[in-house]
Amino acid sequence: MSTSIAQGSAAVAKHDTSSESSTRNTIVKLTAVEKIYRQGKFEVPALRGFDLEVRRGEFMALTGPSGSGKTTALNIIGALDLPTRGTVEVDGRNLAAMSRSELSRLRRDKIGFVFQAYNLVPVLTAFENAEMVLRLQGVPPRDRAARVMQLLGDVGLKGMEHRRPAELSGGQQQRVAIARAIAPSPVVTLADEPTANLDSTTAELLLTLMEQLNREHGATFIFSTHDPRVMARARRVVHMVDGHIEDDIAKD
Amino acid sequence: MPGPRLPTLAWRNIWRNRRRTLITLVGIAFGTLLAVLSTGIGDSSYAEMIDYAARLGGGHVVVQHADYQKLPALNKTVAASEDLLQRVAAHPDVRAVVPRIRGGAMLATSSNNVGSGFIGIDPALESNQTLGLLDALAEGEMFATADDEGIILGRALAENLDVGLGKKVVYTLTNKDGEIVSGLSRVSGILDTGAAEVDSGICLLPLRTLQQLLGYAPGEVTQIAVFLDNHRDATEIAHQIGADLQGQLGSVVTALPWDEAMPDLAGFVTMKVTGSLIMQLIITLLITAGIFNTLFVSVMERMRELGILAAIGFTSRQLFALVVWESLWIACCGIVAGVLLTAWPYYYLATTGFDTAAMTGTQAGTQVSGITMSQVLYVEIYPDHAAVIGVAIVLATLLAGIYPAYRAGRVSPVEAIRTV
Repeated sequence: MSTSIAQGSAAVAKHDTSSESSTRNTIVKLTAVEKIYRQGKFEVPALRGFDLEVRRGEFMALTGPSGSGKTTALNIIGALDLPTRGTVEVDGRNLAAMSRSELSRLRRDKIGFVFQAYNLVPVLTAFENAEMVLRLQGVPPRDRAARVMQLLGDVGLKGMEHRRPAELSGGQQQRVAIARAIAPSPVVTLADEPTANLDSTTAELLLTLMEQLNREHGATFIFSTHDPRVMARARRVVHMVDGHIEDDIAKD
Repeated sequence: MPGPRLPTLAWRNIWRNRRRTLITLVGIAFGTLLAVLSTGIGDSSYAEMIDYAARLGGGHVVVQHADYQKLPALNKTVAASEDLLQRVAAHPDVRAVVPRIRGGAMLATSSNNVGSGFIGIDPALESNQTLGLLDALAEGEMFATADDEGIILGRALAENLDVGLGKKVVYTLTNKDGEIVSGLSRVSGILDTGAAEVDSGICLLPLRTLQQLLGYAPGEVTQIAVFLDNHRDATEIAHQIGADLQGQLGSVVTALPWDEAMPDLAGFVTMKVTGSLIMQLIITLLITAGIFNTLFVSVMERMRELGILAAIGFTSRQLFALVVWESLWIACCGIVAGVLLTAWPYYYLATTGFDTAAMTGTQAGTQVSGITMSQVLYVEIYPDHAAVIGVAIVLATLLAGIYPAYRAGRVSPVEAIRTV
């Protein structure tokens, strides 16, 4: 379905990553990646010969049916999981060569995460959740506060800084999650079904917000999604089937 | 090292499930109460027992002939010169120093002969702080001087000899040269300690009268009883006094702490203390199990959240530290709860005590190793023992937190996000 939506647009083209300038701007590169899960005696391949390059500033959707490997690909790009075979580079660094703590630092400094279920820390306020990664990075309190207050304002949560997640709606929680993800200015923000639990209006608002962050601040977003609204807004749609890319469409 | 406010986050985490945390704190508090009271009762009663034994025997530290302990005999003496007594008394932790002669004698009256132990004392130097028997003088009076001609008998001993106040008693003993010598005294007092072993087997004699009978030089005694402010200092002070005296008098003199001079009592106390320690170990293990349960369940319930924290950049060490902080907070709150719960019972038992007479149905004190214990149980814990309990609770809590913390530190973000 996503492919048809992408292909149905007049301004679509096969995505090309061959030019030299695009190579310089590449922030995520997966080459011949395979991921096999073991379930008892059985091996279940989730990714098969998966190649993907993502450039700085992209607003990209990974689509495909359930079990096509979208979330696995996102986990591998996010250094949450390692491939069985193949190489993964994020911001020029080969993940296979990194230690556990180096991977933690990479996630902290280079990758933002937005999850379907928001996953805020329930005992922290909106402000504290949003500033958490900046704290981990050791950003001075004054800079941290300025950055977080600005971001919470940007996502429409001004005045709600001291509310805990239980005191926020689903959409508001997801906004905090977005603020937390982009607060450290990551090279890429990964969003796994970010609109799945939201009503249409809130989903549209959040997509507009992320689009705005992408256009105005050059923030790179990769979505894993089934949501046609996300696919419609994405400027690149990668359609996956059975663990490999079936179509990779770039829109103007 | 930059990092999140782990202590704050941990503090808020422990109150997520308020009821579970409160139940854990109540467990720690009751464990603290049990540990403090049982240790306090032990400390208080052993101190009473040791002090009583010291006042019945040779003090907290006894200075005597080097061979006296192995085979007590009246020819194994030390010269308790004024200078020597002053040297010992000059020690800052020494409360009193008294010279004594101890030994065994055969007591005879017209109707009976009975073997008995005796203590030769100088009444001018003794008080109930150095000789507990003075409190047990039920009839008659104490010797007027050290060369008095009286004898003070335990009540059962007097009954065995069939004598009362003013009656004659002949005591026979072996003098310094190994010859049999006898003295004649009139009963000037009757002791009633309530302890059958003491009342039937001890008598008091005047020190100088005994010295003359035994052929001792002035100041010559079998032991110098040294009393301390705190019996727990006995070993150290015995070492210091022994070293000092041996420098002056040679190796013929030794200074023994109470536990070496009274090995039976020391063995009893050690046995009881060991039993108490085992009890406390069991209490600690129960506390540890309770805390472990709380922390482990709490961590397992939060695996997804911990996985998310790992995903956004928390290192394994930070996740480990987060749970350790949680266990530390529980320990601190547990100690505060324990102090609050223990304060009033401790104060009551330290000041008023608990009278066991109503339970035992008798007014006679319990006898332990020939020592009559008070019927009223008091609590007085040594500060270092209280500190050990506090440290043990903190360590037990931290120990209980190690495995849950390890599990938190090893969380796989992708597994946690996918499976939980």
